[in-house]
Amino acid sequence: MIQLHRVTKYYEGVPALRDVSFTVEKGEFAFVTGMSGAGKTTLLKILYCAERADEGQIIIQGMNIFRLNPSSIPYLRRNMGFVFQDYKLLPHKTVFDNIALALKVVGAPYGDIERRAYVVLKKVGMENKRHLTPPKLSGGEQQRVAIARALVNEPQVLLADEPTGNLDPQSGHDIFRLFKDINMKGTTVLVATHDWETVKKMQRRIITMERGRVTDDGKRFGRPPAPADLSGAKAK
Amino acid sequence: MKGYGLFYYIAEAFRGLRSNSVVNVLALGTITMAMLIVGVFLLAFFNLRGAVNTLGERLEMSVYLRDGTTQQEREYLLTILKSERGVKKVSYLSRAQALELFKRELKGQEALIEGLGENPLPDSYEVSIDQEYADAAKLEAMAKKFSTLPGVEDVSYGRQGVEALAGLLRLVVYGGTALAVFLGVTVVFIISNSVRLALYSRGQEIELMQWIGATRGFIQGPFLIEGMLLAMFGAALAVGVLAGIYYSLPQIAVVFLSGPNGLDFLPPPVVAYMVAGGGLLGLSGAKVSVDRFLE
Repeated sequence: MIQLHRVTKYYEGVPALRDVSFTVEKGEFAFVTGMSGAGKTTLLKILYCAERADEGQIIIQGMNIFRLNPSSIPYLRRNMGFVFQDYKLLPHKTVFDNIALALKVVGAPYGDIERRAYVVLKKVGMENKRHLTPPKLSGGEQQRVAIARALVNEPQVLLADEPTGNLDPQSGHDIFRLFKDINMKGTTVLVATHDWETVKKMQRRIITMERGRVTDDGKRFGRPPAPADLSGAKAK
Repeated sequence: MKGYGLFYYIAEAFRGLRSNSVVNVLALGTITMAMLIVGVFLLAFFNLRGAVNTLGERLEMSVYLRDGTTQQEREYLLTILKSERGVKKVSYLSRAQALELFKRELKGQEALIEGLGENPLPDSYEVSIDQEYADAAKLEAMAKKFSTLPGVEDVSYGRQGVEALAGLLRLVVYGGTALAVFLGVTVVFIISNSVRLALYSRGQEIELMQWIGATRGFIQGPFLIEGMLLAMFGAALAVGVLAGIYYSLPQIAVVFLSGPNGLDFLPPPVVAYMVAGGGLLGLSGAKVSVDRFLE
């Protein structure tokens, strides 16, 4: 599903990713952890074609994204859902309209929009708040809407960058449980987070990064980061 | 899945126009002014061209006779004029008849003529010319030939009037073209700025749409149509204002300004071209901003 081979990325000559290689299989659930500046966000941005790697090979759903024409990027993104730390919901649009926008963007038939938006909002437990605007929702609820938006076009891969970074522990836990349910239904999930406690409880594959390199790729349980890493993560 | 059609983009464009209404109303006002100036020049151009063509095609020539021409000389002249190729009909107009005609044309202002005392008009032959001789060069050659005939004082066929109008027409064409180019660039600039403001005000939405898989066409479509509609509305409004001015002009002014065909309003195809041209300028202005923004 996702294959990276010796991927390197520089920002003004400073390496942000160095020789990153790993494979995520179809239907797998994996975490990418590490302290701030480890390269988690850069990695996800590259997978989402928001940044271009300088070296290496990346194959997503059989497509080599190094050879991808810029005009093909939107079509790749339609097969991948992305969840942001800051939700990126449009504040002046209702929950329903935020979801509908994702459907309109891919040209979904008008007649299907209401039904599909309702179904996906029900999946994340937000169907009763569909007429509210995001500022009237809690952080956890906003993230649920953002997840619904990422899922509405039934992507094969779901990427999330610090999805619980702005949430209290209970809401964060609920969001991770939601990811687990989504993964159980067949969607490949890759989550970048420094929430080590939750990651540990989830008992899924953990890819640990440090200064742009993959330092550990535990198939089920990752090695806890060094205390220095944790303090860095908490500082963030 | 198929993308949305033109209706979706138009609906989104109207939404965009409404959401930035203050900026768009200001832009619309400026565009209307620019297009109004272009419209005035087009109106002048079409009326002058009509006048030049009509005068140029007026197939009559007045051959004025010298004072004291004898009957014999006049008959000789008549024979020569009638035998000239291209001459259809020749009629004699005595100075007394000419004065009567002149009085009729100046109806209501006969006092002007009374003041002249003696009749200043000469006797003349009015020569009608065949349609196939309706050519400036041929007419000039004919007039030149007639003016050398014995007993002929002067020949007139309205050439001076036509030349003066043609000069004015050239001025309108060159001046109007230069001004239209300048105003066209201004319209592109105004639309480009107005669309750029719309792009910035919806920057968050555009960025998000890119993240969730929107194609460039899907993002830029409504903005391009917004720019096009704004300029087309401006052009249409300008035509409306121009028509309002035209139809509310006092009759005396219309008579004063009009050429031999009267003062005509812009022909419908020209109005259509003006509005379509405005749309094209708007589209170009919007494209400039969208391309810069999405780079």
